[in-house]
Amino acid sequence: MVTAEKLRKQFNGLVAVDEVSFHISPGEVFGLLGPNGAGKTTIINMLVGVLRPDEGEVTIDGSHDPAQTQVRNRIGNAPQSLALYDRLTAYENLAFFGHLYGLSGNRLKEQIARALDFVGLTDRQKGIVGTFSGGMQRRLNLACALIHDPPLLLLDEPTVGVDPQSRYMIFESIEKLKKRGITIVYTTHYMEEAQRLCDRVAIIDRGKILALDTVDTLIEDFGGRAIIEGEVAEISVNFTWPGSTFEGNRFTLETQKPMEELARLANAGLNFTRLKVEGANLESVFLNLTGRSLRD
Amino acid sequence: MGKVITLAGKDLRLLVRDKSSLFWVIMFPLLIALFFGTIFSGSGGQMSGMKVAVIDEDQSEFSQAYISQLDSLEALSITPMVYDSAFQKVRTGRLAALIVLKKGFGQTGGLFSDTPLVEVGIDPSRRTEAGYLQGLLAQASFMQLHGKYSSPSLIREQLDKLTLDSGAWKGLDSRQLARARSFLSSMADFFESLEELSIDSTADEPSKRPAMFAVKVTSVTNDVARPRSSFEVTFPSAVLWGLMGVAATFAVGIVKERNGGTYLRLRLAPVTRTQILAGKGLACFTASFFIGVMLLALGTVVFGVRIVNPGILAVSLVAACLCFVGLTMMVSAIGKSEEAVAGAGWGILLVMAMIGGGMLPLMFMPGWLKTLSHFSPVKWGILAIEGGIWRDFTYTEIWLPVVILLGIGTLCFSAGVTLLSRTDR
Repeated sequence: MVTAEKLRKQFNGLVAVDEVSFHISPGEVFGLLGPNGAGKTTIINMLVGVLRPDEGEVTIDGSHDPAQTQVRNRIGNAPQSLALYDRLTAYENLAFFGHLYGLSGNRLKEQIARALDFVGLTDRQKGIVGTFSGGMQRRLNLACALIHDPPLLLLDEPTVGVDPQSRYMIFESIEKLKKRGITIVYTTHYMEEAQRLCDRVAIIDRGKILALDTVDTLIEDFGGRAIIEGEVAEISVNFTWPGSTFEGNRFTLETQKPMEELARLANAGLNFTRLKVEGANLESVFLNLTGRSLRD
Repeated sequence: MGKVITLAGKDLRLLVRDKSSLFWVIMFPLLIALFFGTIFSGSGGQMSGMKVAVIDEDQSEFSQAYISQLDSLEALSITPMVYDSAFQKVRTGRLAALIVLKKGFGQTGGLFSDTPLVEVGIDPSRRTEAGYLQGLLAQASFMQLHGKYSSPSLIREQLDKLTLDSGAWKGLDSRQLARARSFLSSMADFFESLEELSIDSTADEPSKRPAMFAVKVTSVTNDVARPRSSFEVTFPSAVLWGLMGVAATFAVGIVKERNGGTYLRLRLAPVTRTQILAGKGLACFTASFFIGVMLLALGTVVFGVRIVNPGILAVSLVAACLCFVGLTMMVSAIGKSEEAVAGAGWGILLVMAMIGGGMLPLMFMPGWLKTLSHFSPVKWGILAIEGGIWRDFTYTEIWLPVVILLGIGTLCFSAGVTLLSRTDR
């Protein structure tokens, strides 16, 4: 559905995006994971034709020009900066964007009602957006992107500055959209979100894709070993285990396959009184790939 | 076109919901019109005269008539009172001055006396008005004397008194005395003949008598082409202030939209950049035109502003609005933040207002500033709107300001759109 081929963009001599290529299949949730300033938003803006790449090409549904009206009609976008008019009501915002997509009359009313219901804002439809909480504004931002039922949805950091309740609601909404078969491009610097929502993730840093694959494969390939910490009821002073350190009845163990390792320890007669398994995740993938944390 | 109207409708709705902007767009221009209109008003609100106390120590018929004469002057507001009370009020600043008519004032009318028979006490903080007050007192004296000696019979009576007054001829020898009396007798005969001529005529009516020094003052214009009240001057300025308010508000709105996510969403929607700009322009024009019409309607209905040529006024208003749509686009492109655009935008607009006669009328400006005013759209806007209100411009006369306004608007619009397009890449 979406193909980016060797995209390159620089601003005032600074390379923001460098040789970025990927393909997104219909119905896929594709994540762009990277710290702030990695180039995620620049990639999104090139995908939708707001920015022209210095080099490379974007193809959406076979069209090489994302600025074409028929292509834009198939894209919904929820920008990182809230794209709402804060002196209008939620209903008026949706009606305005609906009009721009050619909706009118009953069809427009139905779509507004549907979008409001989808993000749980039906009871606040007459409220002035400026009075909404950050979470409610983010949800309405998503609703505005969905007003015309686009098959491709671009969500740029959709949970920034959002309270836990709204974040949970946004996750649920995205999972529902995924079930509907909508293709989603999701940028975030929260690895938990990418891990939970995305089928495939591109790890981005300083304008380059460092790795791109499914979450499991990324973790397996770049996540490093899991760490198991625990305590046992009693242990022989002479007990040893490869890759582990014991101090009294406490132990630490690093392993690629934590569950199998724990099973073997249990078979060896250890009686666990406390266990903590810290598995590899996308954070450790990023750390291993760049030597830095995602939040650096 | 439907999308352009949708875009414009959204901007107008945002404007209506922004109370602080509404103040600058509607209330501020109105206050300007009312404030300056009232200050300079000749009909809408009379300027109050200088408040002075009069102490009449002479208590003669002449002094009473003199006080009435003073009271008839618009520039003075007279209150008869006793000296101590008047002194106290002037000292405490409640009155500007006191005038004392001393004993003997009625005998000579205050003229040709060895000792001053009129004393003026003035509030020290109003020294500059002392000369003005002296002038008014002299004016009243001459008016009084004019009244006293403009009737031939009154003059003849005075001449007879003088002829019989032996004290007045002291120091003259008998030959000089005979000549003087002969001259006065001839004068008396002359005035007697005038009096006979005036019988059965209307010559006794003061307005029909020849004045001592008659000057007729006329305006170098026809009867229509002059402002009938100061509001006819201040309301065109107010319209321009309204247009400046709309321009500043929309310029800030454009930069706010660009910095927020809404502009990005608009560009992702199936609308062209031209449609987006047209929507902004249409909203700005509609708001400007509405403000102009509203202010002029208020001026007409409440403050008696005449519209001598509605067609010319409509053309002028449309041209001024289009000009300020162009300015809006340019101002919105001169900064990247709302603060920068608001500050620089108002700065530019205020300079235009200052040199264009939006604050101080052009007539009070030095020559070089008048020349500079040609570069201000405010000057041309005011001139064009006045053309339809009281200057009674013809379509031949209005084309120059209209073409200049449209030219400035087009240049600014092009510059603004070019600058905005650069930042979109």
